[in-house]
Amino acid sequence: MHGLFRWSGKWWPGIIPLVIFWAIAAWTSTEPLEADLAQRSTAALKDTILDKRRISVAGRDVTLAADAFSEDGRQGAVASVEAVPGVRLVNDETRLVPEAKPFVWSAERDVLRVTLSGSSPLPASKGRLLEAARAVGGVEVADRTNLARGAPPRFDNAALLLLDQVGKLKDGKVTLTDTRVSLTGMARELGGREAIAAALKNLPEGYSVAVNDVKAPPYIFQAYKDPVAVTVTLTGYVPDNNVHAALVAAAGRKFFREKVVDNLKESIGAPSGFANAVVPALGALSRLSTGTLVVSDREVKLSGDALYEAAAGQIRAGLGKEFPQGWQFKPEISVRPAAAPVDATVCQQLFTDLLGKARIRFESGQADIVADSAGLLDRLIETALRCPTANIEISGHTDTDGDEAANQELSEKRAQAVADYLVKAGLPANRFSAVGYGATQPIAGNDTDQGKAQNRRIDFVVK
Amino acid sequence: MAYLTTFYWGWLLASVLLGFAMGWISVVQHGEGVSRKLRWALSALVAALIGAALARAVPGRFGYWLDLGLIMFALYLCGCAVGSWLRDWVVSRSAPPA
Repeated sequence: MHGLFRWSGKWWPGIIPLVIFWAIAAWTSTEPLEADLAQRSTAALKDTILDKRRISVAGRDVTLAADAFSEDGRQGAVASVEAVPGVRLVNDETRLVPEAKPFVWSAERDVLRVTLSGSSPLPASKGRLLEAARAVGGVEVADRTNLARGAPPRFDNAALLLLDQVGKLKDGKVTLTDTRVSLTGMARELGGREAIAAALKNLPEGYSVAVNDVKAPPYIFQAYKDPVAVTVTLTGYVPDNNVHAALVAAAGRKFFREKVVDNLKESIGAPSGFANAVVPALGALSRLSTGTLVVSDREVKLSGDALYEAAAGQIRAGLGKEFPQGWQFKPEISVRPAAAPVDATVCQQLFTDLLGKARIRFESGQADIVADSAGLLDRLIETALRCPTANIEISGHTDTDGDEAANQELSEKRAQAVADYLVKAGLPANRFSAVGYGATQPIAGNDTDQGKAQNRRIDFVVK
Repeated sequence: MAYLTTFYWGWLLASVLLGFAMGWISVVQHGEGVSRKLRWALSALVAALIGAALARAVPGRFGYWLDLGLIMFALYLCGCAVGSWLRDWVVSRSAPPA
């Protein structure tokens, strides 16, 4: 032992090459060692959820900077790196991600893009929501969300459901503030607003709708009367099958000459009183020589040419009154230039043609003219205006059903009602005589319903 | 430690061999060794460095280099001790009995 002590005094010369070895070892091994430790530390954190993770290694000391989503996760991350073999110590620069209070997340849609903003609870949620936003379809997605703690439970489910609703919007914004949902904007399609309201009932437990200001796109119904093609084209929406059938039937009754082209689609979201407003509006359109009817939500716009001045006045003043409460009428009615006068023979021919195509209709058993006949009457009046010198007999006829005296009286009253209508339209009363013939002048057999219908008529006879 | 050993075992082996060679030579080398005073001073320095390494007082790369140096130095000393002892054994066996 003593020898060892004595010899050790002579060991110092070897220190010089040892120092050289040490310098070379330090020079060559430092960087590979650091790279290896960085790689092992990264691998150790593979299953730990962290944001903004940065690992830097100096010698055997690892500096770990990251945002953790819970205190346990933060401590676990540091412990994982400390457990990596070769790591001497860990400089802990981790912190918890900031807590958002209230926790706000929103998705805004415009024509070009869906913009996500606010806070997401975890990178995985952020990724999932971004994916869902891309699935909204046809638009660019801008993700401006930050990560934050403090999300309510089942946040992902709620946000995914809301993103689904964003797909039903043309433009608008969906905001989730803690567990309260607010929506604004315009639905993409008719019925979209109702679909969104229905879907919101499936929000996860604890979530509630604070504001739902989603507006429906205007509910449009259009009718165009084309005098050249002799058609009435119906386009746009109707609320259901029944209203659809009723409107097409009403159009068929009111437009006695035109073919009804039905391009209507059924959709929910119609304003209340839709049918009650559209039917009289179609009646007004039937009185125009050419015209367009546009019903947009509760606004009815009717433009076109009336056949004579009084008709234009009646339409302008009268139609709005027939509408249900809350409906607006915007008439843009002009008057068609008067047609050239014709002599009495041509006039008679025109009357016969018109009345051959349609009959003036009355309430059953009464002398009240039904509104559907307004278009026909306007044409009869226009014709009467073309032969201002001719005197006209308005003759009423019935079928043989019922009491003879009653039929006689009814035919007189009906003829008189038509004469009154004409006078009210501005024609001189002295040009018309109303005569009732009862069932005495049938033009068809009274043994069939069809024959009876032909016999119930009003004729215009130029004298 | 096991990790570090696997990482630069070549340098550690070189230190041991260097120590062994130095120990082998030192037994038969003539001349004065390090004075007692200097030996104490050096021991104190090494003890201080070991203390600093164990306390992890030196940060980053310098800390790593310190650890590396001390390990190499320790193995050098071991090599020296083994070399010296072995040379002494060889010398004493081959020398004629006094």
